Amino acid sequence: MVELVWLIPAFPLLGFLVLLVAGRKLGEPGAGIFATLMMGGSFLSAVAVFAGLVDRNESDRFYELTLFEWIPSGDFSVDVGFLADPLAITMTLFITGIATLIHLYSIGYMHGDANFSKFFLYLNLFAFSMLMLVLGNNLLLTFLGWEGVGTCSYLLISFWFTDEANASAGKKAFVTNRVGDFGFMIAMFLAFFTFGSINYGEMLSGAPGMAAGTATAITLLLFLGAAGKSAQFPLYLWLPDAMAGPTPVSALIHAATMVTSGIYLLTRVNPIIAQANGWAPDIIMWVGLFTALFAASIAVAQKDIKKVLAFSTVSQLGFMFVAVGSGVYVAAIFHMITHAFFKALLFLGAGSVIHGMHDEQDMRRYGALHKVMPVTAFTFIIGWLAIAGVPPFSGFWSKDEILLGAYNENKVAWVLLLVAAVMTAFYMSRLVFMTFFGPARWDAEIDGEVPEHEIHPHESPKTMLLPLVVLAGLAAAGGAMNLPFTHSLKRLEIWLEPSLFGNEQHINVAAGTKWGLAIIAVVGALSGVAGAAWIYLKHKAPASLVEKPIMEAGWGYDTAVSNFMGGSGRKAFDATTRFDETIIDGVVNGAGSVVKESGTLLAKLQTGYVRSSAVGIAGGAVALVVYFLARTSF
Amino acid sequence: MMSLVLAQIETPDIAWSAVLPHLILGVGALLLLMVWSLVGRHLPDWIPSAVAIAVATGSAISAVPLWNRVTDAERGPFGAVAGAVGIDGFSVFLTIVIAASAALSCLLAIAYLKREDLLGAEYPVLILLSAAGGVTMATANDLMVLFIGLEILSIAMYILAAFHSRRVQSQEAGMKYFVLGAFSSAFFLYGIALTYGATGSTNLVDIKTYLATNVLIEDGLLLAGFALLLVGLAFKVSAVPFHSWTPDVYEGAPTPVVAFMASGVKAAGFAALLRIFVTTFGAYADDWQPIIYALAIATLILGAVMAVVQTDVKRMLAYSSISHAGFMLVGVQAASGKGTASVLFYLATYSVLVIGTFGVISVVSGRGDGATAVDDFKGLGAASPWLAFTFTIFLLAQAGVPLTTGFFAKFQAISAAVDGHSWTLAVIAMITAAIAAYLYLRIVMTMWMSDGEHEPVKVPLTTLVVLGIALVFTLGFGVWPEPIVDWANEALPALVRG
Amino acid sequence: MSLILASSDAVTFPVAPALVLLPLLGAVAIALLPKRHFEQAKNLALVVSTVVGAITLWVLFEFDQADAGFQFVSEQSWIDSLGISWLAGIDGISLFLVVLSGLLFPLAIVAVDPGHDHKAYYAWLLVLEAGCLGVFVALDLFMFFVFFEIVLVPMYFLIGKWGHANREYAATKFFLYTMFGSALMLVGIVSLVSLHASETGGDLTFNLVTIAETQALGTNAARFIFLTFALAFAVKVPMFPLHTWLPDAHTEAPTAGSVILAGVMLKLGTYGFIRFGLYLFPEASVWFAPVMITLGVIGIIYGAVVATMQKDLKRLVAYSSVAHLGFIIIGTFALNVQGIEGGILQMVNHGISTGALFLLVGWIYERRHTRQIAELGGLQKSAPIMAAVFTLVMLSSIGLPGLNGFVGEFLILLGTFTAHRWWAVVATSGVILAALYLLWAYQRVFHGPAEGENAEMEDLKWSEGFIMIPFIVAIFFMGIYPKPVIERMEPAVERLVAHIETNVEGFTEPVAKQGAGNGFGDLEVESSEPGAEGEKHE
Repeated sequence: MVELVWLIPAFPLLGFLVLLVAGRKLGEPGAGIFATLMMGGSFLSAVAVFAGLVDRNESDRFYELTLFEWIPSGDFSVDVGFLADPLAITMTLFITGIATLIHLYSIGYMHGDANFSKFFLYLNLFAFSMLMLVLGNNLLLTFLGWEGVGTCSYLLISFWFTDEANASAGKKAFVTNRVGDFGFMIAMFLAFFTFGSINYGEMLSGAPGMAAGTATAITLLLFLGAAGKSAQFPLYLWLPDAMAGPTPVSALIHAATMVTSGIYLLTRVNPIIAQANGWAPDIIMWVGLFTALFAASIAVAQKDIKKVLAFSTVSQLGFMFVAVGSGVYVAAIFHMITHAFFKALLFLGAGSVIHGMHDEQDMRRYGALHKVMPVTAFTFIIGWLAIAGVPPFSGFWSKDEILLGAYNENKVAWVLLLVAAVMTAFYMSRLVFMTFFGPARWDAEIDGEVPEHEIHPHESPKTMLLPLVVLAGLAAAGGAMNLPFTHSLKRLEIWLEPSLFGNEQHINVAAGTKWGLAIIAVVGALSGVAGAAWIYLKHKAPASLVEKPIMEAGWGYDTAVSNFMGGSGRKAFDATTRFDETIIDGVVNGAGSVVKESGTLLAKLQTGYVRSSAVGIAGGAVALVVYFLARTSF
Repeated sequence: MMSLVLAQIETPDIAWSAVLPHLILGVGALLLLMVWSLVGRHLPDWIPSAVAIAVATGSAISAVPLWNRVTDAERGPFGAVAGAVGIDGFSVFLTIVIAASAALSCLLAIAYLKREDLLGAEYPVLILLSAAGGVTMATANDLMVLFIGLEILSIAMYILAAFHSRRVQSQEAGMKYFVLGAFSSAFFLYGIALTYGATGSTNLVDIKTYLATNVLIEDGLLLAGFALLLVGLAFKVSAVPFHSWTPDVYEGAPTPVVAFMASGVKAAGFAALLRIFVTTFGAYADDWQPIIYALAIATLILGAVMAVVQTDVKRMLAYSSISHAGFMLVGVQAASGKGTASVLFYLATYSVLVIGTFGVISVVSGRGDGATAVDDFKGLGAASPWLAFTFTIFLLAQAGVPLTTGFFAKFQAISAAVDGHSWTLAVIAMITAAIAAYLYLRIVMTMWMSDGEHEPVKVPLTTLVVLGIALVFTLGFGVWPEPIVDWANEALPALVRG
Repeated sequence: MSLILASSDAVTFPVAPALVLLPLLGAVAIALLPKRHFEQAKNLALVVSTVVGAITLWVLFEFDQADAGFQFVSEQSWIDSLGISWLAGIDGISLFLVVLSGLLFPLAIVAVDPGHDHKAYYAWLLVLEAGCLGVFVALDLFMFFVFFEIVLVPMYFLIGKWGHANREYAATKFFLYTMFGSALMLVGIVSLVSLHASETGGDLTFNLVTIAETQALGTNAARFIFLTFALAFAVKVPMFPLHTWLPDAHTEAPTAGSVILAGVMLKLGTYGFIRFGLYLFPEASVWFAPVMITLGVIGIIYGAVVATMQKDLKRLVAYSSVAHLGFIIIGTFALNVQGIEGGILQMVNHGISTGALFLLVGWIYERRHTRQIAELGGLQKSAPIMAAVFTLVMLSSIGLPGLNGFVGEFLILLGTFTAHRWWAVVATSGVILAALYLLWAYQRVFHGPAEGENAEMEDLKWSEGFIMIPFIVAIFFMGIYPKPVIERMEPAVERLVAHIETNVEGFTEPVAKQGAGNGFGDLEVESSEPGAEGEKHE
C-alpha cells in the first residue's frame, strides 16, 4: 500500500490543474466541492500508506519512491522522490485531514466571492506544496515545498488585493520568509559539501561521525529557516499581518500546517542536531521559550480576535521549539498535532463568528454570542479548554510533555514555560469571555465609531459547522494518541521511534515528580482561567490592569523594524541608487565630456590663420631637429 | 655644329615601358590641354573629363604588366632612367592606387563641375598632372626626382584647392595650402641638401649602400636631414603638428579635389615616407622610429578628439583623415615588411572609401558646395534612403566596423604594431578609433534619427557610378580582403639601380 | 584537437552557415521589398526567423549528447595568408544559446509592431539575429570578433530609430561603450595570435581550438590578454561597474529590442567568458577568479538594491538583469561543473524570464503609454490574466523552485559554495532582495485599487497569450525536468573543467566531499568523535 504514496500529492496537484483549466466553468460551489474531494482522496491515500507502513516491522518503515532524477550536475544529483516514514506520514495524515475539513468549511465561508474558484485553486496548490515539503526525500524537494507554501501563503494573504494592507501583508510574509530561506539554502550547500548529497537517507546515515562544527552550522542555518517559516522571534513579524487573508487560510496555513514545517524540518534532521555542539539546541530552546512568552504577552492585549489567535499561534510554536530544543521531538510533534486540531478549530470558530458578525473582528463589539451561535460557541469552548491545557483535553497532554521535557532540560526554562502556559490560559479565556459571554455589545460605540448598519449575528451554515464539530472531537480526544501512563500507551512515541534514530531525549524524572509537575500545570491553567473570569466576567478588576498599550503594540518591535526598513534602510538604498546615477554613470558621461572639452580647447589653437599654422609647422620642425640632434653620436 | 653638340650630350637609355604610367599621365595632360585650347569650344565641355578618366585609367592599366614583371620571381624589381626611378611592387601598387584615385575623382568631378559651371579642361588636366607628380614620388629612386614629383603634385593641388574661384573659402584654401605647402617643401629641400652633405648622393640606392658600407663618425648632418625630410612629408600626409592646414583646406576646397587630396596625395606622401625612411634609412630605424611613434600618437589622439567637436561634415572628415593618417603612421612605425604592407592596404582601401564619402558630400552639399554642416544632413535617411545607406556604410567603414575594408585596414595596422611589440601604440590607436566612432555615429544619427525635412537628393549618373564602385569595393573587399592583402604583401619596396 | 573537431562528418547539412546566412539573406530581401508592400516585411521576417528557429530545434534533436566536442562543424578558408578561416561548430555549451536565440527572435518579431519604417526595422532584426548566432557558433577568433562587433550596428539602429524619448543618447552610449570594450579585445586577439605563432614557430592561425589546446603563451602574456578579453565581455555582460549603458539601452529600446538585448545579447559576454576566457586562458581565469567572483557578487547585491529603487518598470528589469548576470559570472568562475552548468542554465533561463518580462512590460506600455510605476496600479482587477502570467514570470525570475529560474541559480550557488564559500553566502542573500524588488513592483503595479485608465486597461489579447505560451512551457519544463538540458551540456563542460585542470598545475576542480551514508540501510546510531570538518563516517 505504501507504493501509493505518490497519490497523496497527486490528488491536490490534479485538483490544481483542473481548476486552473476549468475553475471558472465549475464555478460556485462546483470548484469548492471538487477541490474538497481531491483533498479527501489525498487523505484516504495517506491513510492507506499509513496502514501499509504499520504492516511493516519497525526496522524497515522507510519507504523511498523515486519518480525521476530532477537536477543532475557533475557529482551532484537530486531526485524527485518521496520518503514515507512514520514522521512524514504522521504529518501527512493531519495535514490532509485538516485540509479536507477546511476546504469543506471554505465552501460556505467564501460563498459569493468573485474569485471563488481561484481561492480553491490556491488551496489545492498549497496542499500540494505542503505535501511535497513533508514527503520529499531530500532537502531540495522539501525546499521546493517550503517555497511553494510560502508562495501560496503570499497569494492567499493578498487574495483581496485591492486593499493595500493585504497586498503589503502578503509581500511582507514572502520577503520575511526569504530571510529564513537564506539560511535554508546555505544549509543545503553545506550539507552537500559535507555529505556529497542532500538526500535524507544519505545525509542522516552519514551524520554520525560528522564534525560537530559542521553539524552546529547546519543546525543553526536550518533553524534560521525554521524561525522564518514557523514565525519565531525575530522573524515572526509576518504572521500577525498574515491574518489579512481569508480566515480559512489563517486556519489552514497560518495555524495548522505551514507554520509547523519548521518543527518538522528540525525533527527530520535530528541526527545532525544530535552531532551539533550542545549550545545549538539550547539556542533553539531559548529562542522558542522567549517567543512563547513574548507572543503570549502580546496576545493578552489584542482587541482583534484573529490577532489574539495569531499571537497565540506564535506562542504555541514557541512551545514546540522548546520541545525540539530539549530533544523531546515526540512532544513537539504531539503538540504540533493537537495544536493543529484545536487551533484550526479556534480559527474556524473565529471565522464563523466573524462571518456571523458581518466581518466585525473587534472583540469589544462581541459578547453573549453563545446565545445566537450555540454550535460555534460549544465547539469553540472545547478548543479553548484544549489550548488552555485543561485535562482531559488534547492540549493538556501535549503541553505537559513539553513542560516535562523542559523541566528535564533546565528548571528555569520550565518555570518560564509554565508562566507562558498560564498566560495562554488567561488570554484564551479572555477571548472566550469577551466573545461568547457577558452582555451583547454588538453595536457598541468604540473609539467614537459605531457600525454603519445594525449587526444581527447568526449561526453559520452546515458546511461550516460540520468541520467545527469534527475538529472539536479531535481537539477533545486527540490526547489519546500518546498517553503517559504506560509505555504501551505512548503510541505516538513508539510509532515515531524509527524516525528519531534514538535521539529522543530520555526523561529521567521520577514518576512522582511527573505527577507533581502535571498537577502544577493544571493548577496554573485553571488559575489563568480564573484570573480572566475575575476581570472579564465578574469585572472585579479593570482590563487596563493587564492590557497594557505597549503589549497591544507588540512591545513596539514591529514598528521599530518597519521604521528601520522605511527609514535608514530605504535611505541606504536611495544612496546606492544616487551613487549609481552620479558616480558610476557620471564617470562614463564624464569621460565623454572630457573628450569634448579637450577638443574645444584644442580647437582654440586651430585659428585658421596661416601664421599660426606656420608657427605650428616651424615649431614641429624645431622639435624634430632638436630630437634628432640629441641622438647624434658626437 | 648643333648636331655635334647634341652628340656630345649623352642621354641615358630609357626603358620607356618602365615609365609608361608617368608618360601617359603627363603627356596625356599636356596633349589634352593643347588640343582642348585649340578645338575645345566646338565640343561638349564634359569631353576633357572623359578623356582624363581614360588617361588615368590607361596609366593604371599600363602598370599591370609592370606588376607582373616585378612580382615575377626571375625578373623582379628594376631601376630605370639611370636609376632615377625604381620599379618595384611597391611603386607599381601605389601607381595604380594614385592613378585610380585620379580617375575616380575626375569621374566624381563631372557632375560637380557641371553644377558649379566649372566644366572645362583645366580641372582634369590639373588632376592628371598632380597624379603624374604623385606617381613620380611613388617611383622615385632619387631624392631630387622625389622632390620634383612632390612639387608637380603640390602645385597642381594648390591651384585645384582654389579652383572654385567664385567661392571665397575656396580661394582662401588654395592660398593657405600654397603658402604652407611651399614653406614645408623648403624644409624638405633643405633636408635633401643635408642628406646629400652627409652621404654624398641624392640617389637612394647610393645612399643606402654608402650607409651600409661606411660608418659615420658624426651623423648629425644625416639626422638633421631626417628631421627636415620628415617635416616635408609629415605635412603632406597631414600628421600632427603639421596638420593645421587640413581642416581649412578640406572645408574650402572643391569636394572632388578634397577627395583626391585625401586619397592620391596621401598615397604619394606615404609612398615617399616609406621609401625614404623604412627602405633607405631602415638601418637607422632606432633613430627615427620613436619620433614616428610620437607623431602617430599625437596624430591619432588629436585627429579623433578634434573631430568630435566639429559641426561641419567636411571639417569632421578632415580630422578623421588625420586620425586615419595616424593609423598609417602606426604601420610606418613598425618599420617592417608587415608594417609597409599594412600601410599599402590602408592606402588602397581608404582611398576608395574616402572618395566615396566625399562623393556623397559633393551631391548633398548642393549648388555652391555650401551645405556641408551636419544639420544639412537631417532627414536624408527618409528623403533618399539609398544615398543615406551608402553614406552610412562609408561612415561605419571609417569607424572600423567589421565586414568593411575600414575595419580590416585598422586590423592590419594593429597587427603590424603588435608584431613590432608596440602594444601601447596599438591600444592607444584602438581607443582613439572608438573615440572617433562618435563623429561618424553623429552623422549617421543626424541622417536617420533626428527629425527634419530634407528634399530628395538627385544623384547624377557619373557620381552614382563612383558611389557604386566605392560601395562594392568597400563591402566586397571588406568581406573578402584576401586579394588586396596578398597584393600588399607582394608589393614590397626594393632599391635597385639596374 | 582533431578529436574535438572530428564529429562533423555526422551531419551533411551546413547548419552553421545556414544559421548565419539565412537571416542575412532575409534582411536583404526585406530591404529590397518595394515600399508599397512594407506590410509584407513582417511576414517575411517571421518566416525567415521561424525557419532559423526550426533549424536550431533540428540541431537540438540531432545533437549527440555523448559527444564532448564540437558538432555540426563547418570550415571554409577565408584569408589564408593570415590564417583566418570560417570555422563554426556547436557544442553543449553553445547549443542552448543557439536554440534560445533561434526561438526568441521569431517571438520578438511577432510580438510587437514597430509602428513606422517596418522594412528597415525587420531587416535590422534579422541582421541582429545573424550576428548573434554567428557569435555562438564561431570557433575562429577573427570570425568571432567580427560577429561580436557587428551586432552593435543593428541594435544601434533599433534603439536609435524605434526607441523612446531619450533614444539617441542611449543608442550612442550603447555603441561607444561596447566598442571601447571590444577595441582592446581586438588588440588582445591580434597579440594572442601573433604570440602563439611565434611561440609555436608555426603559421598564423585564429583557430580557437588550436590555440586553446596548445596553450603556448607565457603566464604574464596570457594574463594581460585575458584582461583585454575580460574587459570586452564585462562591458557586454554587463558587470559592475561597467553596467550603466544597460538601463539606458533597455529603457529606450523598443520592446523587441529589449527582449533581444536581455535575452540574447547580454549572453554574448557571459558566453564569451566561458568559451574564450576559460578555454583560452585557463591559468589566467583561475588567477583572476577571485576578482571576477567579487565583482559578480557586488553586481548581484548592487543590481538588486538599485533595481528596488527604480521608478521606471523597464529600468527595474534592466537592473535585475545586472543582478542575474552577476550570478552567471560567479558560477562561471567557480570553475566547477555545477557552477558553469548553472551559469549556462541561468543564461537560458534569464533569456526566457526577462524576455517574457520585457514583453509584458511592453504590452502594458502599449496600453497605458507609461512605464512609470507610480502611474500604474491595481491592474490585476482590469487584467487578471496578464497579472497571472506576470506573477508566474516574476516568480520564475525570483527563482522559485519548480520554475526555471531556480535550477540555474541553485547550481551556481552550489558550485560557488564549494569553491568560494563566503562569496556564495553573500551572493545567496541576493535571493532575498530579488523577492523584495519584484514583489514590491508587482504590488505597486497590479495590486491596490485601480483608478482611471488603470481600471479599464485591456487584458491580454489572444494573440499575446499565444506568444506567452512558449515562455510558460519553458518556464515549467526547465524548472521541473532540466535533466535533458543539463545532460547535453555536461560532457562539454566536464571537458572544459578537465582542460583547466590539465593546463593549470596546482588546480583541481573544487568539489564536495563524497561518500556519504548509503541511505536508510545503515542508520544504527554510533558515538561520534568530532574530527576534521566534514570528515565522513564510512
